[in-house]
Amino acid sequence: MPRIACLVVPDLPVAALCRADPDCAGRPLVLTDAPGPHARVVAASASARALGVRPAKHTAAQARALLARLIVRRRDAAAEASAAHALVDVAASLAQRIEVAADATVFLDAEGSTHLAGTEAGLATALVARAARVGLEARAAVASSMTVARLAARHGHGTEVVPAGSERGFLAPLPLACLDPAPDVALTLARWGIRTLGELALLPTGEVATRLGPPGVPLIRAARGEDERPLMPAAIAGDVEESVVLEHAIDNLEPLLFVLHGLVLRAVERLGLAGIGCVRLGLALELDDRSRDARTIPLVAPTRDVKTLLGCLRVELEARPPRAAIVKLTIVATPALVRATQLGLFTPAGPSPERLATTLARLGAMCGTEGVGIPVVVDSHRPGDAAVAPFTLPSATLPANGAAAPSCRLVIRALRPPQPLQVFTERDAPSFVRGAGLGGRVVGAAGPWRVAAEWWDDAPVVRDYYDLELTDGGIYRCFRDRRSGEWFVDGAYD
Amino acid sequence: MSAAALLDRLGRPGDIRLGASPRGGHPLLPTGVAALDAATGGGIPRGRMTELAGRRSTGRTGLACAIAARATQAGEVVAWIDPANSLDPEAATTTGLVLARVLWVRPRSEHDVPPAAECLLGAGGFGLVVLDLAEAAHPSTPWPRLVRAAERTRTTLLVLTSHRQAGAHAALGLEITIRRAEWHRDTGRPTLLAGITAALTVARNRIGIPGRALTLRQAACA
Repeated sequence: MPRIACLVVPDLPVAALCRADPDCAGRPLVLTDAPGPHARVVAASASARALGVRPAKHTAAQARALLARLIVRRRDAAAEASAAHALVDVAASLAQRIEVAADATVFLDAEGSTHLAGTEAGLATALVARAARVGLEARAAVASSMTVARLAARHGHGTEVVPAGSERGFLAPLPLACLDPAPDVALTLARWGIRTLGELALLPTGEVATRLGPPGVPLIRAARGEDERPLMPAAIAGDVEESVVLEHAIDNLEPLLFVLHGLVLRAVERLGLAGIGCVRLGLALELDDRSRDARTIPLVAPTRDVKTLLGCLRVELEARPPRAAIVKLTIVATPALVRATQLGLFTPAGPSPERLATTLARLGAMCGTEGVGIPVVVDSHRPGDAAVAPFTLPSATLPANGAAAPSCRLVIRALRPPQPLQVFTERDAPSFVRGAGLGGRVVGAAGPWRVAAEWWDDAPVVRDYYDLELTDGGIYRCFRDRRSGEWFVDGAYD
Repeated sequence: MSAAALLDRLGRPGDIRLGASPRGGHPLLPTGVAALDAATGGGIPRGRMTELAGRRSTGRTGLACAIAARATQAGEVVAWIDPANSLDPEAATTTGLVLARVLWVRPRSEHDVPPAAECLLGAGGFGLVVLDLAEAAHPSTPWPRLVRAAERTRTTLLVLTSHRQAGAHAALGLEITIRRAEWHRDTGRPTLLAGITAALTVARNRIGIPGRALTLRQAACA
């Protein structure tokens, strides 16, 4: 007999909105499906219901009449989708086989997961605790069928384990309303005097089907704790997405970053469930002028550091501000494993992969992705050309003997881009040099030697290079562009 | 590696001494330059700041590259903070620098230099962090914060400057001045820059004896 765990958030629309806007948590709150005072209340928080507000019965105005300090908000589909995805991530952190129902209830195969939590009760507790980490107050139950697990989760005490063979006993005292029967079916059953699932389960299936029609059979099977079909696991999407629809359009960076902080925090918590980092951050904005703005921010290394991710978002938004106020925000975090490394017995330990990833991402936010990496010698004829490659932790083995023995040599400090110079010559040899931050009489010179490259291109490089020692104490690498005749300095020996 | 060689490196069971008094002295990062190691007592101090000050073309970058090269060849990971974007990887490899063990960080502005340095020093695991402020006009560097971060993670911080500015925050202060440039002149052949001869002085040393001076000859990179 299979064992199925069920993870459910009661009043998901309310929980999702409280997750997106923590200020609403714990306060009387109702959600409507349309703007205006006559919109119907579709969901209410527990505190609002305790004060008499009834979803589907009251309008927003009627609910406000019951309680003046009631918060009335529109239902946020984006926040609900994010919450549902977060719930799936919680389940995915403990199980491989997961099915998500249409009402965002998550079922998982408990048989393959109990070894992670020890017992079934431990599994249910772990699910609830991890849901709390991503900002959701969930309930969990483990039973032998999806139906029993769902009912136990919805009507249990937070975490519930229904032992195999005792499903009928567990279901028997539950009221018939737990199965949400159609109103006419509920009326008929009430007329028969059937009020609990136990009473319904005792009725003969064939007789009930004859009298109630097709809806009767699944109802009686559910009352007996039987499923219509087995668990059907679905593939889980890789990216972590968090969205929020803003009540008021934002046209300023600081409040926008405040909202983004909440989104990033929730995405990072979800990534943390799987112990992975974010390697790329997508930001999709819906603007007030009904246009969209989507951008992707690559990170130098996978990280879960909220400050780093926010820094990247700030840099990106400062560099390219959206052209209109923002009404909806979505961030998509592309997950990636934090690089592992093998330590060596005789080599220094080096930075830890996790901290290095965070450091690289933080540096990337400060310096740009092109400003952080391994220096690379470029196969080019232009002296001083350089590039960077993504930094990866080097292997634990010592460098091969191919590297030159360490030696103290005069090297070039490059000036990028080359700085223009004013050069006075005597008998075609430089005699005096003047430029930004340098200048003096030439006291030592070598050259010229010609560099001719990229002759196949529209702008070939033809330069005469000189090494010039000036009276200011510097030794410079200068060149005269053969095409323009202008002088430049592109480095100093140091 | 054979078992005997492994035992030689790790020590044989009988070699283990219990209760031996720890060796004194501050841990040092060898520079690979024999004369400098002799003048400083074995290298630059780990977990402290060393300041290498000198004007342009005195060979301070070549010396820093040599120290970084020695560290990378010993298996350390080195970070090079380069706000002026002046590191030439090709020239650096001539000093023996293993580029695969170098993290090159080029802050976009001078304001980003201290946070970048603090971030790298705080990360830990880097054997050497080189902070190249040689071309910075008016660097406003929070020396105490950097020194504390270096001490906390036992990372060696080497700062290149045009003149000494870290003052008492540097555990080791080196001053380098050029004596003369050497030109290779042969009749009938083009003149070439052969190298420079520089004078290096240990101006400040909190863990050893200051005041020592040495002459450093640096050949020009090919």
